[in-house]
Amino acid sequence: MAIANKDSQNVFGATLTRRELLGTGGALLVSFGLVGSQPAKATVPGNTLDPTLPTSWIEIHPDNTILIRTGKSDFGQSTTFTAYRQIVAEELSAPFEAITTVVMGDTDRTPDGSGAFDFLGRGTPNIRKAAAYTYQALLDLASESLRSPKDQLSVKDGVVSGGGKKISYGELVKGRQLKLTIPVTGDLTSPMGLTVTGNPPMKPVSEYTIIGKPFRNSVIASKVTAKEQWATDVRLPGMLHARMVHPKALGSKLVSAGSLDKTRFPNAQVVVSGNLVGVVAPTEWEAIQAAQQVASGTRWSEWKGLPGDAKLFEYFRNEADWKSTPVAKSDKSHGDPAPALAGAPKTLKATYQMPYMKHAPLGPTMAAADVQPDGTVHIYTHNQNPQALRGEIAKMLAVPADQVIVRVFAGPGHYGRSNGGNAGAEDEAVILSKAVGKPVRVQWMRDEDFQWSTQSPAAFADVEIALDAKGRITAYEVDHYMPAMQDDRPIGAVLAGLPTMATPNPKGDFISSTVNSLQDPWLYDGVSVLMERGHGTYQVGEKASPLAIGLRDHSMRTPGQFQQNFPRELAISEAAALAGADALQFRIDHATEDRAIAVLKAVRDASGWQPRPSPAGNRSGDTLRGRGVSLMLRSGSYWACVCEVAVTPASGVIRVEKYTIAVDPGIVVNPLQLKRQVEGGAVMGISHALLEEARFDESGITVHDWRTYPILKMSEIPEIKVVLLNNPKVGAYGGGSEAANALAAPAIAAALHDATGKIARRLPLKAEYVQTLLRA
Amino acid sequence: MATLTVNGVRRDVQSPADTPLLYVLRNELELSGPQFGCGLAQCGACSVLLDGKEIRSCITPLSAAGTKEVTTLEGLPARWAQQKGLSKADAGKTLHPVQQAWIEEQTPLCGFCQNGMMIKATELLEQTANPTLAQIKEAFTTSGPSPHLCRCGSYTAIIQAVQRAAAVMARGR
Repeated sequence: MAIANKDSQNVFGATLTRRELLGTGGALLVSFGLVGSQPAKATVPGNTLDPTLPTSWIEIHPDNTILIRTGKSDFGQSTTFTAYRQIVAEELSAPFEAITTVVMGDTDRTPDGSGAFDFLGRGTPNIRKAAAYTYQALLDLASESLRSPKDQLSVKDGVVSGGGKKISYGELVKGRQLKLTIPVTGDLTSPMGLTVTGNPPMKPVSEYTIIGKPFRNSVIASKVTAKEQWATDVRLPGMLHARMVHPKALGSKLVSAGSLDKTRFPNAQVVVSGNLVGVVAPTEWEAIQAAQQVASGTRWSEWKGLPGDAKLFEYFRNEADWKSTPVAKSDKSHGDPAPALAGAPKTLKATYQMPYMKHAPLGPTMAAADVQPDGTVHIYTHNQNPQALRGEIAKMLAVPADQVIVRVFAGPGHYGRSNGGNAGAEDEAVILSKAVGKPVRVQWMRDEDFQWSTQSPAAFADVEIALDAKGRITAYEVDHYMPAMQDDRPIGAVLAGLPTMATPNPKGDFISSTVNSLQDPWLYDGVSVLMERGHGTYQVGEKASPLAIGLRDHSMRTPGQFQQNFPRELAISEAAALAGADALQFRIDHATEDRAIAVLKAVRDASGWQPRPSPAGNRSGDTLRGRGVSLMLRSGSYWACVCEVAVTPASGVIRVEKYTIAVDPGIVVNPLQLKRQVEGGAVMGISHALLEEARFDESGITVHDWRTYPILKMSEIPEIKVVLLNNPKVGAYGGGSEAANALAAPAIAAALHDATGKIARRLPLKAEYVQTLLRA
Repeated sequence: MATLTVNGVRRDVQSPADTPLLYVLRNELELSGPQFGCGLAQCGACSVLLDGKEIRSCITPLSAAGTKEVTTLEGLPARWAQQKGLSKADAGKTLHPVQQAWIEEQTPLCGFCQNGMMIKATELLEQTANPTLAQIKEAFTTSGPSPHLCRCGSYTAIIQAVQRAAAVMARGR
């Protein structure tokens, strides 16, 4: 922790100490003013970097190259390898290319923890503040070196000029013991990690020369040429390969583990710990075959504690406990909708249903672990929040977090599944490694990744809307229902009966709570009465399971907001149709925020949207065409999309032909990478809307491969048009990797209505469902 | 013990004959291009070329490779250099046009599927010099045992990269 003393300076909340400048410290005091309060206290275990040291974040080398470090892991968002480099280079006024190294995620080599959801830190990421503090410290050094007042210095490309002289950052730091104390707060191994505090001056947006340019992502070349080291490539000396034998049902207990056929698999070994069964062998193929043989002889208790997908919404409505968890209400809720609804000339009352969905990474989860004789645990994995994983593994083994080191490698994107600390296999690798005394690599098979991972929770919502005689919404009332969204208990620890955090419950913290908070900011402030409530409950099946394992849920790309935005945006389109109004203009007419209106106008113009009410006039023929629109505010970014679809009534197949999306994220950091993110999110969103449902029976998830859980194929993608609205006056960086996946569903459902006159209020919009709907 | 020709080099391998080629390549030969995605020939992440034809190494036993030439992602630059008769000096600094296009277009998101995507693109462009959009979609969707799947949704970027690579390959450099 920083100690402010007579040799130190308070730099906008940070503390600057410079040992070799003891004699001239007074001059520095003049430039920074008085020493302020000490940095807030942070909880940081050992075996990691000191987050208060500037070099833990940014290292400037004598050769003018720069290294940056972040605890947040990038699995394709391109944030750490491009946006972070741009942000740091901008704040330092150094060339982008000078940042030659990005250290990411490794718990012993990065300072701040937390997950990818926090990449842009509500507009000002940790790394930006760390760079801004470092810049001020560098200016002070330069002021001394150049004997020129700080306010008369200028910096270009990492070279400071002043008083007719110049010095590069590299020369400036050479042999100097610059010590700047970065103020941090938080708990490193908690899901949110550490936050850099204070308010260092930031470079004015009007002076940006690096942010806003389309820099390439440096890891892409490495991946394309097979030079990148993936987590899947980690091979440790003496390492054994493992395959798990997971229970038959989500609530099954182990009756007896199958015995290993040693004649066929002489080198394999079975490990049993509670209800956890694994098989290790020197080669992967032997481990796979041996695990299959052991699985065939392993007996589990029967368990049928789930309602099954066909009865899910009946179960939600009639049996689930929505009373034990406090009802959440949105900040904007105001007024009593009842009188408005009672007296309205037109009303809409409808229920919307969203299924369980899988994160479904293209590669099943895997990890390698090495529990060493001295108790040190090394984990090699692909994980969005490795510091939180460290905390979970320490808890599981009842050891201090100091003993756990997590190294992060490239891996398949998994869209939020590990943002609370585990991707699925790390804890099992640790348990097996500890049992056999050797490094162990656990690789889940495809079916395990569908059936034993967490899922995005199903939800439903009841919406009521009152319209006046002029077709304006006078009241909007919604009740959102969704089970707990974030179960970060490592599954291997649960199966083995080892310590974990509690299951989500009404008293859990904001992440592990059953409270269904309002996630979808209201954007129609022209509506005079608004009531938005969120009802939460326990995970389905968990209480009926002897292992406390039911349908474990986890946040997935645009979590919670997906489940709340689909009902709202489809209901708004339905209300527009009831009012006989154009769905896009209807939104503009009810919105008051300039940025929301601007993004709607942008998507209108880019898609060539012609105003008219829905449904479309012509509703006969073999192919019916329609269009729909949706709107969202997420992480400081305003989004709107238009989907144009073709529906074949005979088959029920919906084909999205054209997809136009506009986003105003405030400052666009990197238009090239943002465009690719948005295109990808668009495709995933169409996949969610048309295809994705994690089916389940009374015992567990029944989807098990890409045939039973299809995702969108290349032949099914539409023409995609992305409109980026750079809005520098916002002064902050909005998120761009989420949200795009959530906009498609309500726009496609509205387009189906536009094309056919029929409303589909349940996702996914599979052909059989649409066919049945159109025949009704 | 079997002998396998991989990326132009004959390699002795110890794995049993029924071992899926994927594990031989990854674990014994330390070629990390092909990835384990499903083990069911349903996604394409494990693709390699076998005598120029895209196959799924996760379900192909080692014995099925026989004397055929296996090309992995690592072997694409040499494959191109050989096809074009590049000098050793040029070959050392030239990527396969498919790889180069993947970089130019900034195609990968997480990148886990892109090994198979680039292998499929190479197979396509070796057979069809200037594929139409429909031919590209057909190649990645219905030409093999399964569609090549990308969970991040990079299909648009893949199509643009294939078109870019096609233009380069048609020019011959």
